[in-house]
Amino acid sequence: MTSQRADCGNLELRSQSCEQNLLSRPDGSATYCQGDTSVIVAVYGPAEVKQSKEFLDKATLEVIFKPKVGIPGCSEKFQERLIRNTCETIVLTALHPRSSINIIIQVMHNAGSLLSCCVNSTCMALLDAGLPMSCLVAAVTCSLSCDGDIILDPTSQQEKEAKAILTFVFESRDNEIITSNTHGIYSIKQYYSCVEACRKYGFVSCQSPLGTTNTVEQ
Amino acid sequence: MAVDIRLPRKRKRGELTSEPRGLVSPGDVITSDTGFMRGHGTYMEDDKLHASVAGVVERVNKLICVQPLKTRYNGEVGDVVVGRITEVGQKRWRVDTNSRLNSILMLSSVNLPGGELRRRSAEDELMMRQYLSEGDLISAEVQSVFSDGALSLHTRSLKYGKLGQGILLKVSPSLVKRRKTHFHNLPCGASVILGNNGYIWISPTVENESSDTAGGFIQNLEPVSEDERGVIARLRNCILGLAEHRLMLYDTSVLYTYETSTKYEIHELLKPDVMEEVIHLARLKLEQEGT
Repeated sequence: MTSQRADCGNLELRSQSCEQNLLSRPDGSATYCQGDTSVIVAVYGPAEVKQSKEFLDKATLEVIFKPKVGIPGCSEKFQERLIRNTCETIVLTALHPRSSINIIIQVMHNAGSLLSCCVNSTCMALLDAGLPMSCLVAAVTCSLSCDGDIILDPTSQQEKEAKAILTFVFESRDNEIITSNTHGIYSIKQYYSCVEACRKYGFVSCQSPLGTTNTVEQ
Repeated sequence: MAVDIRLPRKRKRGELTSEPRGLVSPGDVITSDTGFMRGHGTYMEDDKLHASVAGVVERVNKLICVQPLKTRYNGEVGDVVVGRITEVGQKRWRVDTNSRLNSILMLSSVNLPGGELRRRSAEDELMMRQYLSEGDLISAEVQSVFSDGALSLHTRSLKYGKLGQGILLKVSPSLVKRRKTHFHNLPCGASVILGNNGYIWISPTVENESSDTAGGFIQNLEPVSEDERGVIARLRNCILGLAEHRLMLYDTSVLYTYETSTKYEIHELLKPDVMEEVIHLARLKLEQEGT
């Protein structure tokens, strides 16, 4: 999956791979690699929930984000929140009232575009767990370099040099944005060109989910 | 000690060369025709029927369902289940049965020692932990399904009750074929309970049924002979092999696999290539019988 466009800079994703159902204890699990970035996700549920966290009309969705080293801090809590909100829009939680769905994300290696890798991995794990979802999601990260070039799926080096980092999550039905997370300085025009550049790859990833059920190199 | 080392192999994609028809992923439109009924694994939006899980579309007349490969157990009244007690509460036990919510076994729906039906007294409530405590395994039948999907179990038959010595296996619930009976005394000398919830219990066959007065709470803790343990271990390997190769589990398939496996040692069955051959032979035998 490679393409070069003179006006937009480096428009290609790193090689991606995914493996599902690799853990035996959880209901669903998946590992997702984008280049050297690698994340493993386990999904437990729907299962019994503590009464303090129980909702009468829907399932309680919890996301636990585990960094590679150290204890989770503020930025990890923010990522948890972001992924939880994304999942709550796609998982049909109303079908499992008074139960809990736990998603545990373990970072194996961070080499840039971690958030999009986490979202993609979570989606594959939810698919493996067989939880009812309204649609699938695909996340793409891009970075804006100082001279305004768009780099898709940046490495950590590229993220460090970037002026802004933008992550978008697209849903598979109408290819609309459901989550947008940005960091840095950019103009409105640049934002829209980033959305379009990312949408193209979000669309491709969403259209072939069953092809990636076992290990598939893109 | 001899150690067996194999090279890693690429997992085979199964014998099925063509992918099954009607494979959908969440969000895919199944039909835009409004004449159909919405079943499990689907949802309606903008007058179109969408899939909500990844799996195969199944249609029964006007009802459309999507059957996912892996799922938790969806209980139905009358199912035989094997479960583990997780909590002893007031007048009830909580039981893990691989379903979404813990199942409940009421004190009033078990046979108490003494046999005859009688009122449950306060003493019975205090004695509950003596009958069944946390971690005990039981076989039971689904009595009813609560409105939130939790199951109510009963052991009001001498078939059901506390399980003694044996092996518990956990497989996917969709692999257990629904039959008239799920208790099998196999001719090879072991008993199997194929729980509808995907929990399978293998135990040595009890020769003489003990007297009814115990109410099914007495465990037989006599040592199991080595032959019987061999049979149980072989059955375990056979059932896990069947589950691995996605063959339906019922008495005939288990027995045929057991018979074809007898030419190998028990520990040899753990090798994937040996198991594959055994399963292949058992499958051929099943197909022959089927026609």
